Amino acid sequence: MTDRPSILVPIRVLEGESVPEGVPGLLANAHVVLLGYHVIPEQTAPGQAQMQFEDRATDRLDEYETIFEEAGATVERRLVFTHDGQKTIDRMTTEHDCLAALVPNATGPIEDVLVAVRGAVGIDRLARVVAGLFGGTEASVTLYHVAEDDETDEDVGTLLDGLVERLKDLGMDTSTIETRVDRDRGALDAIVEAAEGFDTVVMGESDPSLTTFVFGLPADQVADRFLGPVLVVQREPSKQTDE
Amino acid sequence: MTDQPVDVKPTGENVAGEAPAAEPEAVTDDTTVHDDGVELERTIGLTGGLAIGIGTMIGAGIFVFPGLAASNAGLAATLSFAIGGLIALLVALPTSELATAMPRSGGGYYFISRGMGTAYGAIVGFGLWLGLMFASAFYLVGLGHYASAVFGEVGVALPFSPVIGIGLVFGAALTALSIGGTENTAKIQNVVVGVLLVVLTGFLSYGVLDAVGVFGGGTVPEQFFSRGYFPVLTTAALVFTSYLGFAQVATVAGEIKDPGRNLPLAMVGSVLIVTVFYVVTIFVATSAFGADRLGEFGETAMVEVARDFLGLPGAVAILGAGLLATFSSANASILSASRAVYALSRDALLPRKASEINLRYGTPHVALLSAGGPILVLVATGRVELLAEVASFLHLIMYGLMCIALIVLRRRDPEWYSPSYRVPGYPVLPAVGALASFGLIAFMQPASIGIGIVVMLVSYLWYRYYAADVTLKGDI
Repeated sequence: MTDRPSILVPIRVLEGESVPEGVPGLLANAHVVLLGYHVIPEQTAPGQAQMQFEDRATDRLDEYETIFEEAGATVERRLVFTHDGQKTIDRMTTEHDCLAALVPNATGPIEDVLVAVRGAVGIDRLARVVAGLFGGTEASVTLYHVAEDDETDEDVGTLLDGLVERLKDLGMDTSTIETRVDRDRGALDAIVEAAEGFDTVVMGESDPSLTTFVFGLPADQVADRFLGPVLVVQREPSKQTDE
Repeated sequence: MTDQPVDVKPTGENVAGEAPAAEPEAVTDDTTVHDDGVELERTIGLTGGLAIGIGTMIGAGIFVFPGLAASNAGLAATLSFAIGGLIALLVALPTSELATAMPRSGGGYYFISRGMGTAYGAIVGFGLWLGLMFASAFYLVGLGHYASAVFGEVGVALPFSPVIGIGLVFGAALTALSIGGTENTAKIQNVVVGVLLVVLTGFLSYGVLDAVGVFGGGTVPEQFFSRGYFPVLTTAALVFTSYLGFAQVATVAGEIKDPGRNLPLAMVGSVLIVTVFYVVTIFVATSAFGADRLGEFGETAMVEVARDFLGLPGAVAILGAGLLATFSSANASILSASRAVYALSRDALLPRKASEINLRYGTPHVALLSAGGPILVLVATGRVELLAEVASFLHLIMYGLMCIALIVLRRRDPEWYSPSYRVPGYPVLPAVGALASFGLIAFMQPASIGIGIVVMLVSYLWYRYYAADVTLKGDI
């Protein structure tokens, strides 16, 4: 395995969150960026929490690091005390150039993987995650696309065939890849429904919009309803905008 | 991203055998980095920093002092506020340089303990903690005056003055809230400051137009130095409490994003903004009523000014704004006092227990209580002017020493001292800042000076007893 995809695994280390069952197996071929973080209220200085909790958090992270390493992953780890968990996760993604972030939920052995393909944007990163994680395994991969009204069958074919081709270039055995297309459905509901019967979901991060502002990111919503681990492929890091 | 190494190694231990916590390895724009991949996230942006500075300051200068200041100095109280603002600016610039060189929690205490040694650090650290308590108590008494004025407004006549009682209730409630509250207080603070600035800008614009005669003018012509020249300076010493907020930005320096840029902007910016608001407020208030009548109205004089301009709605708006402003100032000071306790405890000048975090709420309950408890005692005295002056005294000592620490550090020029912002006009500006800070103390009441000196002595003796072996000074 030459090109391990970097996957961010954020864990609220002091709130009883641990590495769920099945996740080490899922990330056996990954370079795991293990982020233990602890969100503290604004009345508390981060250094204050560090003085009191660093040892305990470090012990737990040691444990988790071992679990991932035993499963075969390479591990890099960080422990962060923060007032703002999302900022920390975003920063880690950029700093460690993570292709995807994991929403950690428990699962069994990985046999069936659902890959939700939204469009051509970011498809290269999606391919690198899928090929990197599942290329050398027995898992069967289903590429799933919910077509929009103005999309012809031809468009969809080009999109999915292109992805299959790309996966093949990255060394995947195409016989384990299936494709599936649905129409006339809300993408979110369709993905959640299709995900039943799969062990994990790989999907893209969508652009923040007003709906995501109100309802949360689609990836989070899928993760909430799917109850299994979701790999959220991150956007290409853009130039950082300053506040 | 600039990786700024930190090369200060505190050593020794206190009476209880506790050593100062290890210093971080480096400071970046987004984090403070310790060894073993442990990071402390920086989450406060420029807006947040400005809100802390302005939010802490604006409560006092506009809503408590105008009446008191005008009765002391007449129309020249405008000049007193301008002098206060100038001194604050002279200190804010050196503080900015120190803060960009050492963006760590604890503010002035941290700079002085690292630049000049543990003894000075202890005096300033305990002075900061107590000074913030005096300031907070002062804001709470101001809040009590505004809340009482609300009772007066709705026509409820109470047989006793509720000022102290209300101050105590709010003090206790604030402490309880900061221990048990998990809501996003910083966002609320930003909104409160925004609302205050809008209300004040509207009100003051009207007032200025009125004062120059646009609306047919109710201007009271008056001699500028109606009380003579000396009261201008004593009043400046009194109202300096209105300028204590910029240093609070430095107490959370460890949590400010991109500190090299945001710290100087937040500190200098908040001083400039509040100075303009203060000077205009006093000008408007004194031209509406004249200093004598304004003085009679006492702490809530601004309500009467608003009533004079805009009738009942104006009075209600300023009452509401006054409640908000004094409340937010008191809140910010309690939180800063708790940060000061943490900084002292981190460096083993106080027991480690003092910065312990409550497992249920994740808040530092011991530190918050050790700020909130004494505040109630101070509120009970009800002495607005004394509380304000002692708070100013303790801060001015810190301000003066910060200017000196800057000169010391620049002269020795240790390797770890590499501020990204450098103060202009060195060494004249920091020297003038130090002289002005210490000089202003001379114009305070003897009682305030006495209490301040006692606090400093006790702080020093505590250091000799408890932590004489602790060395915090950087290698200079």
